[in-house]
Amino acid sequence: MTLEEFGKIIESYGSSSERWPVDMREECENFIADNSEARELVNRQLELEMLMDQIAVPEFPGLEARVLDQQLPSRKLAPLDQFLEWLLPADKSGKQFWRPAMVACLPLIFGIIIGNFYNFGVGLQGESFEYWDDELYILSLNDYTENLF
Amino acid sequence: MTDEELMLAVCEGDQSAYQTLVKRHLKPISHYAFRLLGNNKDTEDIAQETFLRLWINACRWQADKAKLSTWLHRITHNLCVDYLRKHSRVQTRAYLEEEEDNRGQALESYDGLQGKSTGGISENLDEDDKLRKLTAAMVELPESQRSALMLCHYQGFSNKEAAVIMNVSVKAIESTLARAKRSLRKKIAEVENSIDNTLWGEEIKTHQQELK
Repeated sequence: MTLEEFGKIIESYGSSSERWPVDMREECENFIADNSEARELVNRQLELEMLMDQIAVPEFPGLEARVLDQQLPSRKLAPLDQFLEWLLPADKSGKQFWRPAMVACLPLIFGIIIGNFYNFGVGLQGESFEYWDDELYILSLNDYTENLF
Repeated sequence: MTDEELMLAVCEGDQSAYQTLVKRHLKPISHYAFRLLGNNKDTEDIAQETFLRLWINACRWQADKAKLSTWLHRITHNLCVDYLRKHSRVQTRAYLEEEEDNRGQALESYDGLQGKSTGGISENLDEDDKLRKLTAAMVELPESQRSALMLCHYQGFSNKEAAVIMNVSVKAIESTLARAKRSLRKKIAEVENSIDNTLWGEEIKTHQQELK
């Protein structure tokens, strides 16, 4: 370990060895034991941390009562929110991916069902052929060989 | 009762469980908000909003993903960042003024102990200047550096937890912390240099040596 590497650890994790990465802790401690400059770095870091500890935060005497007394909204969700909660659950593991997928397929299923019951006028334009197999039969009677040459 | 049990109860609408959680987590949350925002009124608003969100989103919290304190700090962090982005200019000035008041009060009470203190005036002046400069330097830090420093130093989170709260990588937290500390150290060094360079700097040094 170099002094620069050790310096980076000190700056990133602080002077307390408890905060240092577990896999590097022993190496760092050995490095400090052998290196006076490393000890100086730790001391400087410690000095900064002690100075930072002197910056106090005021008390907030009425805050607890204020938070406890605040009006909490009802836990019962509106139907739309309940549906959205079910559709897109907080669990982002992907186990519930079938829910949005199923909802996305609903228009397709709806279209198939509707299309099965109603033809919306499709197929009624040609009055001469009522069935497609009739049309195929008529086509098969034509002699296409003359058009080939 | 553990946080997990309490959160399950809150999820079912138990207000007494909510109150227990408020009492348990309000102090660190309000401290974090204050260290980021720097004034009492906004700190109280943010703390209140954080616990309101805890009540509303209790069922969304997943114990296996993050500790409750981490989750709450993340909510507070996001609220504070939103607030700071909206009010950045006003905020810095307000914080400095408030800190100056706090320091003034602290110095007054400290002065009362002066007679009993073993350290000399010079040491206290030096220390006080450093502290003032440090406070000002903290306010001037970019929001991400300040947050990382507050989370890891004052709130006691590991770098990994701080990364979760700030929604960045651990590497990013490491470099952010390093930059923040370098910047603070530089500011303190400026105070030390300025004291050394003043006319009475020599006197202070002599006095310090006498005390030793």
